[in-house]
Amino acid sequence: MNTAILTEEIVKTAAETVPIFNTNKVEQPTKTSIDIKNITVSFKTPQGIYTAVKDISLTVKKGEIVSLIGHSGCGKSTLMGTISGMVKPSNGSVMVNHTLVTKPGTDRGIVFQNYSLLPWFSVYKNIYEVVDAAIKNKTSKEKKELVEKNLKMVNLWEHKDKLPGQLSGGMKQRVAIARAFAINPSILLLDEPFGALDALTKSTMHVELLKLWNLDNREKTIIMVTHDIEEAIFLSDRVVVMNNGPAATIKEIVDIPLTRPRNKKDIIHDPAYMLIHDKLLNLLIDKFSIDDIPSL
Amino acid sequence: MKNSISLKSLLPAFYFAIGIAIVGGIWELIAHLTKNEIPNPSMTWITFKEVIQQPMQDDPDIKGIGTKLLSSLKRVGIGFGIGSLIAIPLGIIMGSSKTIMAILNPIVQILRPVSPLAWFPLGLAMFKDSPAASVFMIFICSLWPTMINTSFGVSAIPQDHKNVGKAFGFSKWKYFIKIMLPYSLPHILTGLRLSIGIAWMVIVAGEMLSGGIGLGYFVWEEGFNGGSVAKIIVAIIIIGLVGLILDKIFMQLQKKFSYAA
Repeated sequence: MNTAILTEEIVKTAAETVPIFNTNKVEQPTKTSIDIKNITVSFKTPQGIYTAVKDISLTVKKGEIVSLIGHSGCGKSTLMGTISGMVKPSNGSVMVNHTLVTKPGTDRGIVFQNYSLLPWFSVYKNIYEVVDAAIKNKTSKEKKELVEKNLKMVNLWEHKDKLPGQLSGGMKQRVAIARAFAINPSILLLDEPFGALDALTKSTMHVELLKLWNLDNREKTIIMVTHDIEEAIFLSDRVVVMNNGPAATIKEIVDIPLTRPRNKKDIIHDPAYMLIHDKLLNLLIDKFSIDDIPSL
Repeated sequence: MKNSISLKSLLPAFYFAIGIAIVGGIWELIAHLTKNEIPNPSMTWITFKEVIQQPMQDDPDIKGIGTKLLSSLKRVGIGFGIGSLIAIPLGIIMGSSKTIMAILNPIVQILRPVSPLAWFPLGLAMFKDSPAASVFMIFICSLWPTMINTSFGVSAIPQDHKNVGKAFGFSKWKYFIKIMLPYSLPHILTGLRLSIGIAWMVIVAGEMLSGGIGLGYFVWEEGFNGGSVAKIIVAIIIIGLVGLILDKIFMQLQKKFSYAA
């Protein structure tokens, strides 16, 4: 145990001092998947400089599911953007698989908030084009097999020839998830993936997502932005609660020590679940009844 | 039930007939008021039948109306074709670079409102050949709508679509073929549709200036100089119908390549 930690420390220091030798190809004995160090993100706006998130540090282990939760505009998506490489931090650094993030890469699969399927391509083509772009060392036959496998995994194979416009919101999101899984990234970044779905579809999707993660031996690290407390608890190992922006910081990180596989129906009766739920509610909401709202 | 559906489908034809009847009535009235200086519909119909006899006749001094029509269409085709081949790439470059947009856009905005006919003498000076000058004029007027619409389409690609390309490692070429082109194609087709409409309008005026074989020259020479108002009206109807067909072709293309988001 001690030696493991020690090696981790040594490798970490090595990674920081000698980044040249530190590529993805080298097998890393440590299990750190994402290492965020003192991230600050500021934007120039016509009203001056706006700081979205300030001095955030967070380490995520390989295979961990972590939710970022907070009110709208608290910078959760911005923080996520620094991991995906879509947002450049003004300060600090993000290491993904021990490599400094400078731009988006196919080691990170993104599921966007509004599905972001290409409307002119069929479901099949939407996934195929992405596989074709992201995976270089496979024949087109192998790529086609990958597309088929991933579409079957989300039960959309019979809809493969439809255009995104012909699908329901839940189906679109399943295509988007299949697309992210198809390039076999070590990290999945989900930006409010189920935000636009109705509660019933959402519930099914949670279980489906965990099933996909399980099928993959729980090796993928998942970071999810959400503002749904139940969703965050059901899916995550840890929930990162953020303060309100501007200059948002991490308010608290709540561990979810519930055993897996989790059952939607049973989990809500688990006393541990109720405690965590209460804690998160208290962290995020300060008005619980009409008495909490000051009268005019 | 069945009956009412078939009646409904006949409705547009019925309205069309009403429209034709109203125009015909006004036409008949004008003919009456001008004491057939403007020929009435039935007189025009006789001329129409004369004009469309042997449409493809292509003798040195007698050309059928079809031959003239093809000649006009050929000029439009060449001018519009070359214009589009230049306008689409330019539009794409303008749309993808704010700097190039800033450089080219003011020039486009100055040249776009210029009547295409103003380019005719310039073409004549350049090519010393009047049919070539009318092709040049078509070329110029086909540029602007296509360029403007293409650049708009390219610059309006939603961030969501761009993000897909970024996140999944699309090469520049793949991004161009799989995201930029499909997204801007409906805009490009809108530009082409506007351009062909203008080109068809302008060719008639151009041929009046340039002479030679074509519908415009037919209107001027055989209609006005030949003293046959009926021929002018026949030509107007033919020009209108051909313009409508050209527009419908591009409308169908637009429909084919548009997509539901």
